[in-house]
Amino acid sequence: MQVFLQTIVGGLNLGAVYALVALGFALVYRTMGLVNFAHADVLMIGAYIAATFTVSQHLPFAVAVLASIVITGVIGLFIERFLRPLEGRDFDLMLIGTIGFGIVLESVATLIWGATGEAVPSPVQTRPLVVFGASVPTYDLVVMGVAVVAMLALSLFLERTRRGVAMQAVAMDYDAAKAVGINVGRSNAIAFAIGAGLAALAGALVGPELYVSPTMGGSIGIDGFAAAILGGFGSIPGAVVGALAVGLLNSFSADYFQGYADLATFVLFAVIVMIKPTGLFGEKTVLRA
Amino acid sequence: MSTAVAAPPHTRQLRVEDLSVRYGGVRAVESVSFSIAPGEALGIIGANGAGKTSTLRALMGLVPRAAGTVRYGERNLTKASAHTMVRHGIGYVPEGRHVFSGLSVEKNLLLGGYSRGWRKANQEALDGVYARFPVLAEMAGRPAGALSGGQQQMLAIGRALMPKPSLVLLDEPSMGLSPKLVEEILDILTGLRAAGLSLLLVEQNAELAFGATGRCLVMENGRVVMEGDVARLRADDRVQRSYLGL
Repeated sequence: MQVFLQTIVGGLNLGAVYALVALGFALVYRTMGLVNFAHADVLMIGAYIAATFTVSQHLPFAVAVLASIVITGVIGLFIERFLRPLEGRDFDLMLIGTIGFGIVLESVATLIWGATGEAVPSPVQTRPLVVFGASVPTYDLVVMGVAVVAMLALSLFLERTRRGVAMQAVAMDYDAAKAVGINVGRSNAIAFAIGAGLAALAGALVGPELYVSPTMGGSIGIDGFAAAILGGFGSIPGAVVGALAVGLLNSFSADYFQGYADLATFVLFAVIVMIKPTGLFGEKTVLRA
Repeated sequence: MSTAVAAPPHTRQLRVEDLSVRYGGVRAVESVSFSIAPGEALGIIGANGAGKTSTLRALMGLVPRAAGTVRYGERNLTKASAHTMVRHGIGYVPEGRHVFSGLSVEKNLLLGGYSRGWRKANQEALDGVYARFPVLAEMAGRPAGALSGGQQQMLAIGRALMPKPSLVLLDEPSMGLSPKLVEEILDILTGLRAAGLSLLLVEQNAELAFGATGRCLVMENGRVVMEGDVARLRADDRVQRSYLGL
């Protein structure tokens, strides 16, 4: 029972991190119809920036996270501006462009911070809480809380605000969005900046739990991507539910299959997606890509 | 029917001169010129691929205008980009409706008024559209994609009316609709004319274009080959044979 609970706690914590990653994928997809394959590498940059500010500049963790969000947001704006000539013309090239940017970011990180990686001390030093014999690190609770707040804020933004609804309209119909007066370029720039900010938030928060390295984006990006697909790509609540599912799946398969954990997780994932290709909360709202 | 959609009668004239459209090396539209007087309804008829839709899209700025000038009232809109057209009072109903299918009917309409603000700025216009199309009020919370073809066409027209335009461009509003619904579209267009709006109607259905407008252009291979009052075109042999199926 205690082991079972501990596994759930670990799974939920992983899930919270995946949720932040998946939210960024979902937001950019819902508002641009684009899968941003540079997302995981933006996350890695965010993790490095936050780590640099806390470890060598000794800034408070919250300040470092904020700085990291702002800086990567600007990187997001830059990527969008660079890809903009392709928007509305060649969507496949735009997709490939994001892959290219991912590779560039990984190389830049290696140039700046080296290939070895860096450990970041946990910013919350209080003792773990004990719930029914399972130990819950307080920092895990912080990560989960942030993921929930980010999900609620994004949902409200997309469904209730003029800008948020307009951003969804752009992905649904590019020309019709222009005809009603939406500045599509600006809308996409905002989508990319928010997506990058979310990636940075995720990166900064996982930094203390994992090892920060130029290649960290790889595995966490795939897990986050799987979470977004499982939830129904583009759905905000779906991203969170999918992420919790992938987190728990990961956590339990690590318990039962040890070295084959990833294999078990992704076989199960593939089966679910084969049965329900639109994911758990899938809607067919975006028709391109 | 004439619930306050348009403001007091407007005085802006649309003047299009020598408009051309090229896709790569292909000339889709070759120096087309026309003007629409305030409150006038002009139709463009022609077969598939005649360049009607390209003309309209170039006018909106949705495809690059290769040559020519576009003026609306005092303003020169030759270089205006698509997303600014609505602020000059030009509404657009795209071919194939193109509603925002994943969003609710109400959000589609609010997006129509995007340039004016959001809920508060658009409430009056929203009530106006609901009064004109009661079925949209009934469906307000449904996703636009769940509506029937005719309802989606009403939504697309309602969306274009939200910012209270003085000129509405309509691209094939009859497309894919039953004859009975085409009748309804005709009633709607007649209502818009009665409210003082200028209309530019692109149609393959010449019967609808003749019913809704006073004057029409006939396009073939990217050029205007005939132009005149509806009565005169109706009597023309070639038009009867090619477009009215008589």
